[in-house]
Amino acid sequence: MPVEIVMPKLGLTMTEGLIVEWRKKEGDPVKKGDILFVLETEKVTYEVEAPEDGALGKILVKEQETVPVGAVVATLLKPGEIAVEVTAAPVAAPKAEAASPAPAAASSAAAPAAVAPSGGRVKATPLAKKVAKELGIDLSAVAGTGPGGRILQEDVEKAKASGIKAPAAAAPAAAAPAAEEKLVTFTGMRRTIAKKMLQSKLEAAQTYMSNTVDASNLQRYREALLPFVEKKYGVRLTITDLMMKVTGAALREHPVVNTRWTEKGILYLPEVHMGMAMALDEGLIVPVIKSINAKSLGQIAVDRTALIRKGKTNSFLPDDIKGSTFTLSAMGMFGIEQFTAIINQPENAILGVAAIVDKPVVVKGQIVIRPMMNVNLSYDHRTIDGAEAGKFMQTLKAFIEDPVMILG
Amino acid sequence: MADKTRITIIGGGVGGYPAAIRAVRMGAEVTLIEKDALGGTCLNWGCIPTKALLQSANVIQTMKESDTFGIKCKGYEVDFGAVMNRKNTVVSQLTRGVGALLKAKKVKVIQGTASFVDPKTIQVNETGEKVQGDAILIASGSKPGRIPVEGIDGPDVMDSNQVLAMKALPKSVVVIGGGVIGVEFAQFLIAMGTEVTIIEMLPGLVPGVDKEIAAILQKQLSATGVKVVTGAAVKGIAHKKTENTVTYTIGDKTETVTAEKVFLTVGRKPDFSLLNIDKVGVKHERGAIVVNEFMETNVPGIYAAGDVIGGIMLAHLASAEGECAVRNILGHREVMNYKAVPSCIYTTPEVACVGLTEEQAKERGEIQVGRFPLRGNGKALVLNETEGMVKVISDRKFGEVLGVHIIGPHATDMIAEAVLGMTMEMTAEELAGAIHPHPTVSEAIMEAAMTIAGGAIHMP
Repeated sequence: MPVEIVMPKLGLTMTEGLIVEWRKKEGDPVKKGDILFVLETEKVTYEVEAPEDGALGKILVKEQETVPVGAVVATLLKPGEIAVEVTAAPVAAPKAEAASPAPAAASSAAAPAAVAPSGGRVKATPLAKKVAKELGIDLSAVAGTGPGGRILQEDVEKAKASGIKAPAAAAPAAAAPAAEEKLVTFTGMRRTIAKKMLQSKLEAAQTYMSNTVDASNLQRYREALLPFVEKKYGVRLTITDLMMKVTGAALREHPVVNTRWTEKGILYLPEVHMGMAMALDEGLIVPVIKSINAKSLGQIAVDRTALIRKGKTNSFLPDDIKGSTFTLSAMGMFGIEQFTAIINQPENAILGVAAIVDKPVVVKGQIVIRPMMNVNLSYDHRTIDGAEAGKFMQTLKAFIEDPVMILG
Repeated sequence: MADKTRITIIGGGVGGYPAAIRAVRMGAEVTLIEKDALGGTCLNWGCIPTKALLQSANVIQTMKESDTFGIKCKGYEVDFGAVMNRKNTVVSQLTRGVGALLKAKKVKVIQGTASFVDPKTIQVNETGEKVQGDAILIASGSKPGRIPVEGIDGPDVMDSNQVLAMKALPKSVVVIGGGVIGVEFAQFLIAMGTEVTIIEMLPGLVPGVDKEIAAILQKQLSATGVKVVTGAAVKGIAHKKTENTVTYTIGDKTETVTAEKVFLTVGRKPDFSLLNIDKVGVKHERGAIVVNEFMETNVPGIYAAGDVIGGIMLAHLASAEGECAVRNILGHREVMNYKAVPSCIYTTPEVACVGLTEEQAKERGEIQVGRFPLRGNGKALVLNETEGMVKVISDRKFGEVLGVHIIGPHATDMIAEAVLGMTMEMTAEELAGAIHPHPTVSEAIMEAAMTIAGGAIHMP
C-alpha cells in the first residue's frame, strides 16, 4: 500500500496550505527526511519531509494550489511497490503535464478575449488612455467598469497587475526601452501584510504619542548584565530585550493598553504576550514572546534569539507568531530617530522604539550630553483615551529612565 | 402587481422623492411617507427659498450699480412682505409640482410620521396604518444644528427654518456660524439694508472651501458692509427687551456684539429621532445612520440616503444617493461614487467647487494649479463682475483634474462642466482643448486649464 502524504496541520489555527514547490518529481527515489515539498500558510513557509524511504508516487496537488489540512497531496511508494507503479508513471506523468499547462494557457488567452470590445472603438476615459500609454497596456484587452463599460484608470491598473501587455504592433515604438519593469506577484505573506496593514489603518482610530527618554540607565544596566546573561544563557542581551521587559512591566500597570478590540467589547488580557516586529526578506512578521512578565531578562534574550533564528531559517510554526497582546517595533539598528508603527490588530497599541542618539539636553539648568531615545506609541483611540495613553507613556518613561523601578 | 418589489421610502425630500420616481420607473411599487411637506428641507426650508430671497437681493444689487451701465435709477423700496410672498410662491409651485409628479407615477404618498415596527414594516403614528415593504429607504433628512451656549433658547434666536418664516425685516442681526448657510443669509440681509455681523469659530469663513477662494469671498462680503469676526467662540446670548447681546471670545479676549435678532446657522444634524430605528437595530454612529458603499445599512433590506447618513449634506448628493439605493434594492450592484460632488454658494460673487481643494490635493501628491483671474475675461467685464477667479487643480503626472474651484458670476451653473469632466476622468488637456463659447465666463475655466496644459491665451 502506498503511503498517503497529506497537508500537515502546523498549528491549532491552520486550516489550509498552499503548495509552493515540489522538491521531488513523480518517480524520484526518496529517503526518510528528504524534503518532498514546501508549503505556505498565511504566515509561514514550511518544508515537509518524507516519512520513510521509497519513491514519490503520484502528485495530486500541483504547485500554487491550496488544499485543506489533511488533504492527500501525493503518495509515497514503498520499495516493493516501485516497480509496479513506475511503469505506469511515464504514461501518467506526461499526460498530466500536457494536461496541466493547457487550461492555464487557455484561460490566460480567454481573459482578454472575453473582455475585448465587439467593435473597433475602445471606450476609455482620457485619464485611462494616458495611464495605459504609460504602462504599455493594450486598451482593447481591458474590461471597462465605468459608465456604459467605459474603461477607467482603475481598470487599466488592474489589467496591468494581471499581466496584460501592450499590443505587439506597438512594441517597435518602444524599441529602446530603459530598465525593464519587473512584476513581482504577491506571495501569501505579502497579501496578508497588505491586508492587515490596510485594515488596521481603515478600522482603528490610530493616533500617536511620542516621548524622548534618557537611555543612560538602560545602557548601564545592559552593560552590567551582559556578561552575566552571556555566561548563564549563552546569548547576548540587547537594548530591545530590556525595552520589551520594561514595556511589559508598564503594560501591567496600565491594563487598558494590553487589550483587544472585539465586536462585543474591549477584551482585557490577563497576560502580556509581547509581539516583536521582525523583518524577513519576504516581509514583516511578528513573532511572540509569551508571558513576558513572568520571564527573566536572560530568558527573554533566549526566546528572542530562538525566534530570530527561526525567522532566518524560515521555520516559524504558526503558534510562534500568534497571540501577541502588544507589539514592540525597534528601528534602532537603522539609526532611525523617530517613527510611527501601524497597530498590529486586533491589538490596540504598538510601541515604536527608535535609535539611542547622544543629544544635548538640559539637566538641572546645565546643558549635558545624554543618550536619548524616542519611543512612539500608536494607539487605537476607540479603546484607549489620550489620558490613558499618556499615563502609560509616563510610566514607561519612568521605567526606562530607571529600570530598577520595575522591581517595585 | 404582487410580483412587484415593494419599497417604502421615509421622507419626501430630495433624498426620497427622486428615489421614489426612479424606483417606479424601474418597475417597483412605492409608498412614500412624509411628515411635513413634499420636497423636504431643500424645497421648503433650504436651497430653493434661500435662493429666491437672494434673487431679490440681486435685483437690489443691479439697481445699486445701474449708474455703471448708464441707467439712472431713482431709488427703491424694500417691501419685505412681498419679498417673502414671492419666495413662498416659488416654493409652493415647486412642491405642488413634486406632488403632481409622484401622483403621475402612482407613488402612494402618506402624510404622517413613520416608525419601525420590524425590518419590513413601518407604522404611520398618526393613523396606526402599517406599511409592508420588501425594502425600506430611510431619507428622513436633517434639522438645523444647535450649540450649547447660554441663551440659545432665547426668543430672538432663530434657526434657518424660523428665519425663512419671519414676518418683518430686522434692523440688525448677528449670524452665528460663517458656513454656507450663514454667508448666504448675511448676503441677503445686507442687501436688504440690515446691519449684519457674522461670527465664525474657525479662522476663515466657509470652512472646507479652497482657502484661496474662501479668502476672496470673505473680502467681497466684507466690502458689502458685512462685519466678519473669525476665530471667535460664542459664549452666550443675553436677551433684553428689543436687543440681544452675543458674547464671544477671541483667544483670551472677550467681546460683545448687540443686534435685534440672532441667526443660528451652525450646520445641520441628521434627524431620525422619530423612526425608532433602534428597535430594528439599524446602526448609527455620531448621530448619523451608517451605510455601506451600496447605501445599505447593517440591517439587510434597509437602506439610507441623504442628510440622515451625515457627511456632505447637499440636495444633489442626497438625490444621487437615493437613486443609487433604489437601484441596489432592485437588483443592481452599484457603488455610490463620491469623486465629483459639487458644492455651491449663492453669494455675490457665487462660489462653486468640485473635487479636492489645493490643500487636500497637495497632501495626496504632486499637483499643478492653473489659475485664471476674471479680470482677463471679456464677459465678466461686460457684467461688471471681474472680482473672481477659476482655479483648476490637476495631478502632475497624467494631468487628471482633481478639483475645480470657481468664484465669480454664474459659478454655480458653470461648475457642471467640471463635474461631468471629473466623472469622466478628464485631464486638463481635454478641459483646455474643448471649444468654449465666446463670450462667456466659462472661457475662464478653459484658460485656467490651459495654464496647466501649455499656457493661457489671455494672460501674460
